[in-house]
Amino acid sequence: MKLYEFQGKALFREAGIPVPKGAVVTASDREGLFAPSAVKAQVLSGGRGKAGGVVLADTPDDAAKAADAILSMELKGEQVKALLVEEKANIVAEYYLAVTFDGESRTPLFMASASGGMDIESVAEHSPEKILKLPVDPLWGLTDYKIRAMADFLGYEDRKEFDGFVRKVWKLFREKDAVLVEINPLVVTDKGLLALDAKVEIDDDARPRRKQLFEAMLSEQRSLAGAEAEADHGTITYVPLEGDIGLISDGAGTGMLTLDLIRDMGGEAADFCEMGGLTSPEVMYDAMKEVFSGKPGIKSLLVVLIGGFNRMDEMAEGIVRYLREHPVSIPLVVRLCGTMEEEGKTIMKEAGLPVYDDLRTAVADAVRFAAGGE
Amino acid sequence: MAVLVDGSTRVIVQGITGKSGILQTKSLLDYGTSVVAGVTPGKGGAVVEGVPVFDSVLDAMKSVSPNAAISFVPPMFAKDAAIEAMEVGIKLLVLTMEGIPKHDVLDILSYAQGRGVRVLGPGTAGVISPGKCKLGAHPARMFMEGKVGVVSKSGALSYEVGKTLTDAGIGQSTVVALGGGPIWGTNQREVVELFNADPETEIIVLLGEIGGGTEIAAAEYIAEYVRKPVVSLIVGRAAPEGKSLGHAGAIIRGNKGTAASKMEALEKAGAHLATSPAQVVEIIRKLG
Repeated sequence: MKLYEFQGKALFREAGIPVPKGAVVTASDREGLFAPSAVKAQVLSGGRGKAGGVVLADTPDDAAKAADAILSMELKGEQVKALLVEEKANIVAEYYLAVTFDGESRTPLFMASASGGMDIESVAEHSPEKILKLPVDPLWGLTDYKIRAMADFLGYEDRKEFDGFVRKVWKLFREKDAVLVEINPLVVTDKGLLALDAKVEIDDDARPRRKQLFEAMLSEQRSLAGAEAEADHGTITYVPLEGDIGLISDGAGTGMLTLDLIRDMGGEAADFCEMGGLTSPEVMYDAMKEVFSGKPGIKSLLVVLIGGFNRMDEMAEGIVRYLREHPVSIPLVVRLCGTMEEEGKTIMKEAGLPVYDDLRTAVADAVRFAAGGE
Repeated sequence: MAVLVDGSTRVIVQGITGKSGILQTKSLLDYGTSVVAGVTPGKGGAVVEGVPVFDSVLDAMKSVSPNAAISFVPPMFAKDAAIEAMEVGIKLLVLTMEGIPKHDVLDILSYAQGRGVRVLGPGTAGVISPGKCKLGAHPARMFMEGKVGVVSKSGALSYEVGKTLTDAGIGQSTVVALGGGPIWGTNQREVVELFNADPETEIIVLLGEIGGGTEIAAAEYIAEYVRKPVVSLIVGRAAPEGKSLGHAGAIIRGNKGTAASKMEALEKAGAHLATSPAQVVEIIRKLG
């Protein structure tokens, strides 16, 4: 779950990471507005600075105007519903500091740069040597020599302060089950280090053991963004596409393969809907519902199942139950094989539904049916 | 020979008394895998499908000396079970569960590296060396013994290609699924390395997908070290850019990790490119 800046900063404050004084302002509650200040749009996407979502205000009048302007903005499709209004900082230097993980090297990773600010992406692309990447062994934790290496790289003099700062960031990363803690910019002021921004993302998989944290953050997000904040589809991944062939698969790999084969055979998929490799009749049922309600005008439905952990009897049960409750008039192509396939095929046969074994034949038929063929 | 698992693999099933644990234990036994014990804390003394259940991996180790573990332990408890297995001396660990907290996965993999333990997953369908040992969810009838080594991130895609090869009469030495990510205990390059050193693997099939850079790393290794023929199928050519299609690895950022960039790298490395499982068969037939 991605957090708003003000939520990330609340976690920072709790962890002892210095942040500017500030207040959250919404259209209905402008009490906290003050000046001089930085008025900042609260959105979950990045790049708000370049899009005009941050305005420095010198007078209360400026602050009010900035608030009006930003609260009417839409940034990357996200309506701005809240502002964070903060004291301006006396900036001496802007650093970039982040900790995340690199799945390919299987390790947490600190990234630090003395070229912080809005253009860190272009620094990463054009001058990667300006970003220090330091893997951290999670079981050993952050070692002194790595913190020294970061301070050296940034050229920050006060070692003791830097050490304390970075350790707090690491502790937050570990103890809140964060997958990203990014501070850009981390500014050097006349009074020391200050986290001017906070981008924090919490691992959804850790939700069962971080119930309080998730509930607190979600209820704040809900009160701002309404139902949009709750986009939990369980294990189903649903992505609407441009075509007219509905697609459901029980694996991302075979789903993508089928997408390719559909196009190779002259069709276009209406969606990509993948259920994960360990699923249930309920999820199969929900996937059918998702595909039919997600996009109108589907001309054929292709269900591609190849069961390892998934049981084909359970998948067939989900399909048959959905169709019993919601009869459909379009042709249905179900490829079903793998674990418990005989039982699955029997259930389908008893419901009068054809079953395919070969993927190419199934795709070819789904494409032909969608084009109006028999 | 084969890689990772063979006739000498002695398996414990962690979380054997759960729904998946019971069903999969039966399927492993049906295949002929030597499942020597199950472990579920508090259920010691029970028997599942004829397999004795122990309270701890240590107890199992003392009486039946396993060397590999497959885990069906629920995500929140998976880390503890994994560390337990590795500490006691298990050298191959298959983590089937999805949804293990990322920090737990990082801890498991750091510990594994220190102990020289091979981890497959998390979120993996596991591995099968047809005719010898199955340590995962691979449906038995889709695989047969032979000389083609297959490595895939996606479990389902490895079944699909296994099935197509088997239907065409082409057998496999070992078929390995790595898991959906975003963190992998074992990657394509490492499995290609194993296949390259395995005298019974004559052809390597590398199945990849859009997103991330692990196929590129495998391509670099192939270019430098592999003289066996490599056939590669990268899926997701028709995927829309910038959208995540399930596997967290399958996200395109800029043009990094596109199907085209991976196919180009693999072709440069000398791999034969296929665009469908049927074409993988055609290419292998041509290779003789």
